[in-house]
Amino acid sequence: MAGGLKLFTERSDDGAAGTPVLDTASGEELMHVQSNVSIVLGNRPPESPGTLYLSTKQVVWLSDTDRTKGYSVDFLSVSLHAVSRDPEAFDSPCLYTQIDTGDEDDDSESCDSESSETLDLSKITEMRLVPTDPAQLDTIFNIFCECAELNPEPVEEEEEQHNWIFSADQLGAAIDGDDPEWDDSQIPFTIGYSNGDHDLASSVLELQINDQRFEDAEEMESDSSDDHRQ
Amino acid sequence: MGLKNQTGAAAGGKGEDHGWSKGARHGQMLFFSYFKDLVGREVTVELKNDLAIRGTLHSVDQYLNIKLENTRVVDQEKYPHMLSVRNCFIRGSVVRYVQLPPDGVDIELLHDATRREARGG
Repeated sequence: MAGGLKLFTERSDDGAAGTPVLDTASGEELMHVQSNVSIVLGNRPPESPGTLYLSTKQVVWLSDTDRTKGYSVDFLSVSLHAVSRDPEAFDSPCLYTQIDTGDEDDDSESCDSESSETLDLSKITEMRLVPTDPAQLDTIFNIFCECAELNPEPVEEEEEQHNWIFSADQLGAAIDGDDPEWDDSQIPFTIGYSNGDHDLASSVLELQINDQRFEDAEEMESDSSDDHRQ
Repeated sequence: MGLKNQTGAAAGGKGEDHGWSKGARHGQMLFFSYFKDLVGREVTVELKNDLAIRGTLHSVDQYLNIKLENTRVVDQEKYPHMLSVRNCFIRGSVVRYVQLPPDGVDIELLHDATRREARGG
């Protein structure tokens, strides 16, 4: 699984600083752009104002002044995000994130405290995004939530191709902030996908709902359904 | 009825291995519907990196992503920078435990739900 923070250098040529080149071929879409955002990696000093790009797959920050400088992290690796406004915790209001570097198992000493001589991006576990305008924080927070839900843990390789965007309507409603995504009407999608074959899975699911006898049909795909053991 | 005076703890999230097993996926749905009933209650979410965050459960989704409000970090000395976040989104896959309010544990309901899960699995 893609883990941790990475350098991001693929910029398009439009404009002075360019924009990140996204993987549109596999359905990646830009969700939000926020200019005038500084980035703080671990305990390092803030880096010069740049622009924050949130796509359906990843967080990208690009320096406005240095075209070779940019970072990205997949939403899959963002363990937690929160709005921090306490000046004691951090000078400026910011979006605080924790990054899953993928090697938490070895319980190594936290690397962001002392040994930051050489910057190993893949070991950065904390990232702060500091917009010049703190009023933008709630918007950014909400888009992070939405994107996190677009990127559940991959269950099997082929299932990753489903984009988890069920309809444009839901996408729009989610931005409006009233959390329709928590609605349980979407539960069946999770179960349905577990079978790989979406059509088959959803018809099986309907049977499950309407008729308890079919509850374990999912487990015996090739079985004749005439064989009721009631 | 309740869990004595102790805080009930329910395992959430997935194991260390990649992906959910079939059984775990069923369990995930059980936890989802169960946690939904706890919205508005005070819970403590313990992450796999040992961070424990206490707060009011704002919402939970089908992936067990959890939103907390009025959060505070249980071990404040170890995580001083997390002191003051107002609301917090936690990815379901990094959750190790969710500690529930003792009176939020409805044994009857859980019995019933687990029986149904067992039949389905």
